[in-house]
Amino acid sequence: MRTGEVLLQVEDLSVEFDTPRGTVRAVDGVSWQVRAGETLAILGESGSGKSVSTQALTGILEMPPGRIVSGTAKYRGEDLIAMSVKERRKIVGDRITMVFQDSLSALNPVQSVGKQIAECYRVHRGMSRTDAMRRAAEMLDQVRIPAAAKRVNDYPHEFSGGMRQRVMLAMALALDPDVLIADEPTTALDVTVQAQILELIAELQAERDMGVVLITHDLGVVADVADNVVVMYAGHVVERAATAEALELPMHPYTEGLLGSMPSADLKGQELPTIPGTPPSLRAIPSGCAFRTRCKLAIEQCAHEVPPLLTVAPGRDAACIRRTGSALKEAVR
Amino acid sequence: MIRFVLRRVLTAIPIGFIVTLGVFALVFAMPGDPLRELAGDKPIPAAVLAAKRAQFHLDQPFIVQYLLSMKDIFTGNFGTTFAGADIAAQLRLRIPVTLKLTLLANAFQWTLGLLFGIYAGFRRNGLVDRSLLLVTLVLLAVPGLVAYFAAQYVFAVELKWFPVSGVLQGFPHSYLLPALVIGLLGFAGLARLMRTSIVETVNADFVKTARAKGLGEQRVLWKHILPNALLPVVTFIGLDLAGMFGGAIITESIFNLPGLGQFMFQAIKLKEGGVVVLLSTLAFVSFILINLAVDVLYGILDPRVRHV
Repeated sequence: MRTGEVLLQVEDLSVEFDTPRGTVRAVDGVSWQVRAGETLAILGESGSGKSVSTQALTGILEMPPGRIVSGTAKYRGEDLIAMSVKERRKIVGDRITMVFQDSLSALNPVQSVGKQIAECYRVHRGMSRTDAMRRAAEMLDQVRIPAAAKRVNDYPHEFSGGMRQRVMLAMALALDPDVLIADEPTTALDVTVQAQILELIAELQAERDMGVVLITHDLGVVADVADNVVVMYAGHVVERAATAEALELPMHPYTEGLLGSMPSADLKGQELPTIPGTPPSLRAIPSGCAFRTRCKLAIEQCAHEVPPLLTVAPGRDAACIRRTGSALKEAVR
Repeated sequence: MIRFVLRRVLTAIPIGFIVTLGVFALVFAMPGDPLRELAGDKPIPAAVLAAKRAQFHLDQPFIVQYLLSMKDIFTGNFGTTFAGADIAAQLRLRIPVTLKLTLLANAFQWTLGLLFGIYAGFRRNGLVDRSLLLVTLVLLAVPGLVAYFAAQYVFAVELKWFPVSGVLQGFPHSYLLPALVIGLLGFAGLARLMRTSIVETVNADFVKTARAKGLGEQRVLWKHILPNALLPVVTFIGLDLAGMFGGAIITESIFNLPGLGQFMFQAIKLKEGGVVVLLSTLAFVSFILINLAVDVLYGILDPRVRHV
């Protein structure tokens, strides 16, 4: 376990969307925290609410149709959700920054990358145009873009996918933030480039003692870089643990299923096990435990109420009545 | 950049010949004898007729007539109309009239279109947005001819706010009504395009990135959303501006403005192939130049299509 200062602490965060066909709850009572120097992975399928939760707390979620129903997100004790937009802008984009999945669409196509990085320095630090551009070039160099001083005037479409993601990183790290939220930063990249980018993030994180929230659907990525992992399913946190422990002995049947369906050399020649069924539509989440319709362990009782996230061992929480029933009865949320 | 411009101009030359040849052929194919039409009911001596025919090369075969007209255009030797007016002098008088009308109409159209389009795009589903949708729908459904005559009748004949026709009251008074009608009819399409383009851009990922950088709404709007949302609008404006001359033929005739459009209308009526081809060439050249300007501008706005 990391012992750095808790930088960002999310508690009981719930987000709903108003749609023409009624309200859907995309994030339901989610809690997690990230410390300085720690990498926290939020693992889940698309639609599990992993991106929505971070977008809601940083204030970049479209609201409406989105709506924060409850919860707090404290950055060094200050609640981002309760504060005014103006106050939040001093933190989001400066102390907390974000990297997105598709760097081609996430960068402004008609502005040079240098200008986009320089914008951070100009808006948050009030630097002059030339100083900001010089710093932008330095940043490109730090994320190991060759001939950074020349490329600073190039446009996003003139970079390869991996290089573009480095540009995104340079932009996110320009102001030396405390927390980096990386939303599927490597999903659009091929495997070798993916490894390079993850390595780069880890290196830069170690240099700066920065907290990283890594949103991903890739258990392999989690295993490689995350200290702790939060597993989400249909808007709920179903398991929270140190990565090594979760991989060794998953508590929740969903985590277990994910782990079981990971390809590995041991399974060569065999059919890869999968979790039966598909994730539920947010309009029709099953009663009780959302996972019960796909769960091998499900019993009748699972349909009665949403299983609370309970501590089963120090630093290990799971939301499954079949697994936590005999363990500690203390609700942690 | 220079190579790009040169290439565009060079490709325009054969197209220009094809276009003018086609126009000339259409005029040639029209029934009726222009010189007899000019004389009206009065008898015209055969000798005069033959002399006039020779003067305007009407006794020559089609292709020779065309080539002679082109030669006149390129040597700047425009000659006279069938009625005897000096064409060069006519152009000097008429070009400013059409320019004034077109520019004023475009000023109305762009101001209204961009203003309402941008506002509706950012406040979508608001009152302005909803009314704009309704108003533009009505405007797009009204045929230009109906609008011109209706406006002329209501605002000039009945209410007497504007002169009914002609340019006696000078600029801008005489031009206001036709320019307003053209501008209003044209603004509908522009405003809708601008609105849709903004609505699409607002949801783009890079706007999310800009917000995540902690930028203020104004900065996000002016530096990130608008430069991208304007791209399709620039193309539209270019095409629209180039097409204005065609619209001028109808408007100038209805409001009796002595511009190029009216000149064109008279020339077509009289089967004056030479004048029609001259005006078509003029329209074509301005079309090419405007398009070129738009392409260059587009390259400046969008680095992805920048020309080397």
